[in-house]
Amino acid sequence: MTTPLLQLHDLNVTYAVGDTDVPAVRGVDLTLAPGGTLGVAGESGSGKSTVAMSVLRLLPRTAKITGEILLDGEDVTAMKWGRLRAVRWAEASVVFQGAMHALNPVRKIGEQIAEPLRLHPPSGKALTDAEVDARVAELLTQVDLPPGRAGAYPHELSGGQKQRVMIAMALACSPRLIIADEPTTALDVIVQAQVLALLTRLVAEQRIGLIMISHDLSVLAATCERIAVMYDGQIVEEGPSTEVMGSPKHEHTRALAAAFPTVGDPVSRFAPATSTPLPPEPPDRVASGEPLLAAENLRVSFRDRTGKRIDAVAGVDLTVSRDEIVALVGQSGSGKTTLARTLLGLQKPDSGVVRYAGKPVPAGGAGRKAYRRQVQLVLQDPTSALNPAHTVYEAVAEGPRIHRLADERAVVHRALEAAELRPAEKYADRLPHQLSGGQRQRVVIAGALALEPSVVVADEPVASLDASVRGEILALLLRLRRELGLAALVITHDLGLAWNIADRVAVMYRGELVETGTVEQVLLDPQHEYTKSLLAALPGGTAQRRTVET
Amino acid sequence: MTTAETPRQIAWARRRASLARTWREFAAQRTALAGLVLLGATVLVALLLPLISDESGLNVTKATGQPLSPPTGEFWLGTDNFGRSVLLMTVWGTRISLLVGFSAALLSVVIGTLIGITAAHFGGWVSATLLRFTDFFLVLPSLILAIALSAVLPKGVGTIIVAIGLTAWPSTARLVRAQTLTIESRPYIERAHALGGGHLHVIGRHVLPGVMPLVLANTTLVVGNAVIADATLSFLGVGDPNSVTWGLVLESALNNGAISRGAWWNVLPPGIAIVLVVLFFTLVGRGLETVFNPRLKK
Amino acid sequence: MTAPEQAAVLADPGEHRGGTGTARFVLRKLLEAVISVLLVIVLFFFLFRMLPGDPVAAMTRDRVTSPQQIAELREKMGVDKPVLVQFGTYFWNLLHGDLGESRLLNNGRPVADMIGERLWPTILLVGSATLLAVVLGLWLGIRAAWRRDSLFDRTQTGIALTLWSVPQFWLGLMLLVVTGGLFPSRGMHSPDAAPDVLSQTLDVLHHLVLPCVTLLAVFYAQYMLIMRSSLLGEMNADYLTTARAKGLRDDLLRRRHAVPNALLPTTTLVFMQFGQVVAGAVTVEAVFSWPGLGQLTYDALHGPDLPVLQGVFTVLASAVVLMNLLAELLYRVLDPRVRTS
Repeated sequence: MTTPLLQLHDLNVTYAVGDTDVPAVRGVDLTLAPGGTLGVAGESGSGKSTVAMSVLRLLPRTAKITGEILLDGEDVTAMKWGRLRAVRWAEASVVFQGAMHALNPVRKIGEQIAEPLRLHPPSGKALTDAEVDARVAELLTQVDLPPGRAGAYPHELSGGQKQRVMIAMALACSPRLIIADEPTTALDVIVQAQVLALLTRLVAEQRIGLIMISHDLSVLAATCERIAVMYDGQIVEEGPSTEVMGSPKHEHTRALAAAFPTVGDPVSRFAPATSTPLPPEPPDRVASGEPLLAAENLRVSFRDRTGKRIDAVAGVDLTVSRDEIVALVGQSGSGKTTLARTLLGLQKPDSGVVRYAGKPVPAGGAGRKAYRRQVQLVLQDPTSALNPAHTVYEAVAEGPRIHRLADERAVVHRALEAAELRPAEKYADRLPHQLSGGQRQRVVIAGALALEPSVVVADEPVASLDASVRGEILALLLRLRRELGLAALVITHDLGLAWNIADRVAVMYRGELVETGTVEQVLLDPQHEYTKSLLAALPGGTAQRRTVET
Repeated sequence: MTTAETPRQIAWARRRASLARTWREFAAQRTALAGLVLLGATVLVALLLPLISDESGLNVTKATGQPLSPPTGEFWLGTDNFGRSVLLMTVWGTRISLLVGFSAALLSVVIGTLIGITAAHFGGWVSATLLRFTDFFLVLPSLILAIALSAVLPKGVGTIIVAIGLTAWPSTARLVRAQTLTIESRPYIERAHALGGGHLHVIGRHVLPGVMPLVLANTTLVVGNAVIADATLSFLGVGDPNSVTWGLVLESALNNGAISRGAWWNVLPPGIAIVLVVLFFTLVGRGLETVFNPRLKK
Repeated sequence: MTAPEQAAVLADPGEHRGGTGTARFVLRKLLEAVISVLLVIVLFFFLFRMLPGDPVAAMTRDRVTSPQQIAELREKMGVDKPVLVQFGTYFWNLLHGDLGESRLLNNGRPVADMIGERLWPTILLVGSATLLAVVLGLWLGIRAAWRRDSLFDRTQTGIALTLWSVPQFWLGLMLLVVTGGLFPSRGMHSPDAAPDVLSQTLDVLHHLVLPCVTLLAVFYAQYMLIMRSSLLGEMNADYLTTARAKGLRDDLLRRRHAVPNALLPTTTLVFMQFGQVVAGAVTVEAVFSWPGLGQLTYDALHGPDLPVLQGVFTVLASAVVLMNLLAELLYRVLDPRVRTS
């Protein structure tokens, strides 16, 4: 039997917070064979990143490690600083999360790729400048970047390109192990698919072992042979990817798997993962009623840094009817958030009209204030959408106070209960930081509900929430529609979300709606190339496999 | 929590709790706490001075000591060239210094806060103009402007306060502007707009409460600077010639031969007094900053 | 005038985003500087000529002056004409290098000449002190931040904070008392120094020591606090973790990655402090009778000789505006994010 590439024995990591030790990782055992690929899944705070960073002892000084970390049979925890520095990057390198900050903003990317080469020359003796340049060019070519980009600074590259640079950097010294910590988190679906494919290919070609950390089980299933699921500092399930994905044993794994539903799977249609059953569809539901909120030929443009006008929204027609959830799908930069802000009257359109119940929305004054009661906003990140100094009560009462509603307490109480924060008194005097992410998002939703609106515009309402909470918030939106007839326009990059709760989908690309229709029409039988490529980019296993002709 | 409490009571209880938390965080910093205690003692002494000490010793014509006498049993810190007690002058100097320091700081902080919030909150040309205006005055040395103002206005304590107050605001304005921009970029402001809140609502409910802690910390630092500026103006001869100030004592030490005769007791006490008062304010200000400015925390 | 760290922490990064071509950027900054200098001229014109009400009365305040002298002065300054005409005349003369005449100091010498001969001593003093303060401050700041909360950090921060609380002129007075004649206390030349270049230079340097140290002491402390807090702001940056993962030694990590990033905001702030160095020079020159613009200011204040003050302040403020322009251009060279777009 060969020595495993990496072996963790009873790994424990605690962080010293004040005078107490807070455990982050508890008794983790993991093994990775040379050239093997292992995915570590878990939500934020599960300890998955701490495990990854402990391999090269990159944890902050407050962290205490016990147990064994055997890298090629040598215990990392026992290494002297000099030996550790020699091992870093030469034996094992890291592809960090969010490449925008992981690269030094004031140094050229070529220099940054060359740095480890000069520190750990592969043959043991220092490389000449020409050799270094040649190797950097070779690495850039491997990650499909033109070698000429070596002279570029990080800010001149797109997110995907920066992640490619990170990968090139990680490959520089031909390490035996690469640790990828959420390598595609901040990227768009299509770019994410490209970067994942690149990483998987290079690792396989060069027989490098890979540990990939992610909150997205489907991403791991698509790239790794085995998956370990972490929860609360422990590994709760480990096995071959197909098994973990296909027949999860632990309930937490099931929650993670359900959070990323298979588009086209009838089981997850109108069935977001929730622990409380959904009310049935009301029998008298009208398929599509009168348009409540409508955009007509809406156009919004901005000046970019060079003063050129860019159409963020380029002539959009969109309607949302009573008792209907519409998903507006697109990648970042497609103009979907600008469209939402314009619908809410937070952004002035260049041309076109927004109509509410058939009438144009007034540009200001009492008329617009009245409109604000009817159409409400739910933001992506509930942590920043709540003033940290305001209690739950004050946050929810903000709207009623602005509109001078009578009987504030009863209104707030009703809104909190409607957002499933029960009993309302229990939450009223809490501050946002005392709540979980899901509870915060419920507070934001309650704040919107307090005005008894007829439409909610939700901008990526679950994008910053943990997987297990995601289903609950989506179920809440669906429940509100079924029980109150509350219409919603949900803006998302996630096709699974649309499949989970939406009635209709509008696909936005470069400021235009390229395809609109019922969820089944658009997602199962896409007509536009862009929709097809979005579906194709879903990590293997969730999309119905289909070939896309580009 | 019982349900009998009204939201108002809850809000007050929360405010008290948050005040207590702030105090605990502040008091946990030993240097800041020491600064606060010493500062309180200084202010108390300055206020009670007329009750515990006789002002007449400051009058040149009523001076009893020998000119430039070194420290003795009668004059613990010696005398100046008129034979006045340096100790007495130093202690009495505290009053004017603190008066000028507090008044000028208040004036400049009020101006700075108003300009800072306006510049950040209202976009467009108002903001652009105010920003340029602030940057212009921020670059210019405020002391030079203060000298110019006090040179042309009638001499007196009022002039000094106005001169310092009208020239020291740009740093506050910039700080407040940056903080306002930070707050206004947060999504909860967008949410407040979507709920139908107007300018007054956003400024009153979100911006001001968010800015005030930093303004408070900034004020204590501005007071320290105003004390130095006051001493400097007096030293340069544009202060109030009729009151005994630390700057004036030092000026006369330079120009009336105390220095050349090595009369260190004319120089050391007023200077130490300035340094201590400013240091107390700086310690308190830094302590408050550490508590209030999340970006300075570890 | 507030704690420099505060400025470092809050300096908003968005501000330096230009993105238009370099030529356009330089032109725009030049234009802004010209407008600022114009504003300086207007400001001091307003302060010295309009604010006192009757400038002649203000100029002759605390002075024995005959009615004839006053009438002559009124005529000369054109006080009876409309404000715009007065400013027009003043500005026209200014463009021709005429800053008016000193009536009370040196009996009617042109202000421009007086400033001209006092300029170089001030540049020598301010220049040498700034240079030393920057080198010392940045070095200490980097060391203190890198070993945060170490004995070195706490001592140095403590000293810097104390120096921050010290009025410069008092520090100068103390140095005079403490050194007790080791260094010259007045002026920049001794009458008995040998006429050769070396002796003359050494003599000037000997005179420079005390004023320079006085000025240096307060400003190095500010630069140190700025550098320290700006480096502390970079300490948790992700790119440092990347560099650490690459196996870089601590000193390389600091030199290659942390410091270059922390230097960017520091540069701007160091230049923005220049106005305060100039103001500091005024008081320090007064203490040591250093024959520069500060000493001239001090003398003019005791006149009071308002035309001289107006001239000196206009020149000083314009110099500060130009230094600021330099800072903005330099920043563009240093930060690749601003340079390219």
